Amino acid sequence: MSRLVLKFEGSELKEVPLGTRPVTIGRAPDNDIPIDNLAVSNYHARVYVEAGSLVVEDLNSLNGSFLNEIRVERAMLKDGDAILIGKHEILVDQAHDTAAPEDAARRAPAPRVSETMVLDTVERRKLLDMAVAAGERSQLAPERLRVPTITIMRGRTDQKEYRITGKLTVIGNSKMATVRLRGWFTPEIAAQINKHEDGYYLGRGDRVPKVNGSPINGLTKLKDGDVIDVGRVRLNFLYRE
Amino acid sequence: MHIQSGARSDLGRVRKNNEDYFAIEPSLQLYVLSDGMGGEAHGEVASQLAVQTVLTHCRQGENSRTTPIFGEASPDVSERTNRLASAIHLANRKVFDSATANPDQQGMGATIVAAWVDAQRLSIAHVGDSRAYLLRAGTMDQLTADHSLVAEKVRVGILTPQEADASELQSVLTRAVGTKSTVEVDTDEQALLVGDCVLLCSDGLTRMVTDPEIASTLLTSTSAQESADRLVELANDNGGADNVTVIVLRVDEKSTGLFQRLKIWNRNSG
Repeated sequence: MSRLVLKFEGSELKEVPLGTRPVTIGRAPDNDIPIDNLAVSNYHARVYVEAGSLVVEDLNSLNGSFLNEIRVERAMLKDGDAILIGKHEILVDQAHDTAAPEDAARRAPAPRVSETMVLDTVERRKLLDMAVAAGERSQLAPERLRVPTITIMRGRTDQKEYRITGKLTVIGNSKMATVRLRGWFTPEIAAQINKHEDGYYLGRGDRVPKVNGSPINGLTKLKDGDVIDVGRVRLNFLYRE
Repeated sequence: MHIQSGARSDLGRVRKNNEDYFAIEPSLQLYVLSDGMGGEAHGEVASQLAVQTVLTHCRQGENSRTTPIFGEASPDVSERTNRLASAIHLANRKVFDSATANPDQQGMGATIVAAWVDAQRLSIAHVGDSRAYLLRAGTMDQLTADHSLVAEKVRVGILTPQEADASELQSVLTRAVGTKSTVEVDTDEQALLVGDCVLLCSDGLTRMVTDPEIASTLLTSTSAQESADRLVELANDNGGADNVTVIVLRVDEKSTGLFQRLKIWNRNSG
């Protein structure tokens, strides 16, 4: 069966069978292949099967992952490839392809943490740094630096443009509404926008708003440029510099 | 609108102590739930102290506007939401001080999730992996993001939700009340609608019962208390591996006077 072999200065340290789940490599002890070395990021890289091919993916590590001496972000693997992480080498060995029990190593009983415990600050800090790195990578960060606004394209409201700064933005004629709708029989809360950690979500009120023509189903994340219809009012959600 | 509430806390089928604690303050429409940890019955001390502190602080805040704010007030949320977060900052301080002063309580802490309804505004604040859900028009959304190692890994994309559910590290929290001298509190706000259902729960529910099961239980119950009872029974039927506590809020129409009926008619026609 396929396996990954961890080697350091020529000696074999560990082998991990390749199953259906990704194999993670990094300095944190909960990785499948933990490498206790400062050159290695906490969650450095992972190896997994995608569409029948074995793939290595660097998890935005500080010092990078190298495949056959070339730095890679994501690359397909074949038998005999060597992934270099810090000074450790991970060999891809697909030669053992016999019907060995898949995931045998993983199914070994793991100690289950049933008592709740709290990570210490250092561990948490590492995790947050990783989250920041991931955020920068996923283009969320630039959106956050810009101010979300709502521009009225059609319908009667108290202003033509609104900056969305609060956690809750109500669209309706309620006292708590930011976007005040005018006219008879307008609902107190027609729709609402909630700010979450990863962006802005549109939710229903007494009306089901439409985003780009389709009625929403539950909280719906807004994208730059989305056109929102609430009753007869049409709004444009935009991130402004 | 009128808030109908129901709640239940249960030992579960495995544990010997119930370290969960909850309280409801009907006059304030304030609902608080906490899951303690720390062993030797100190988890109970932590969760009770945390909940009581939140109630007391919010009550004081209502009675006197000069009640100090603990932690930093955010311009992004209402005064009520800031008060609720302030109460959790104070609870953190109290649990931490108690654990520091009593060596046998060392390491105790708690999760907390609190909901406060002010007219149509729902304020939510939380620390840890106790959750708030909102069921609205048949769709249930989780309003809180768990402060646990696996949940944070899912959010940064290095773990799938399926892997998280199977992880043996589910009990590792990244934030808790009372384990450090300060804590970061997350808040959320929602405009409530008639027909909404809000659920606060400890992880004893969400580890045992899936989200679709929770949603269908809330949808098919005739009262908030019936929902609470059925959810606890479901957690126990599925193994009851941990203490389980739930608070259910249902937002009902206040009256069916002429004005209200006009509005309903308008809603149906719009």
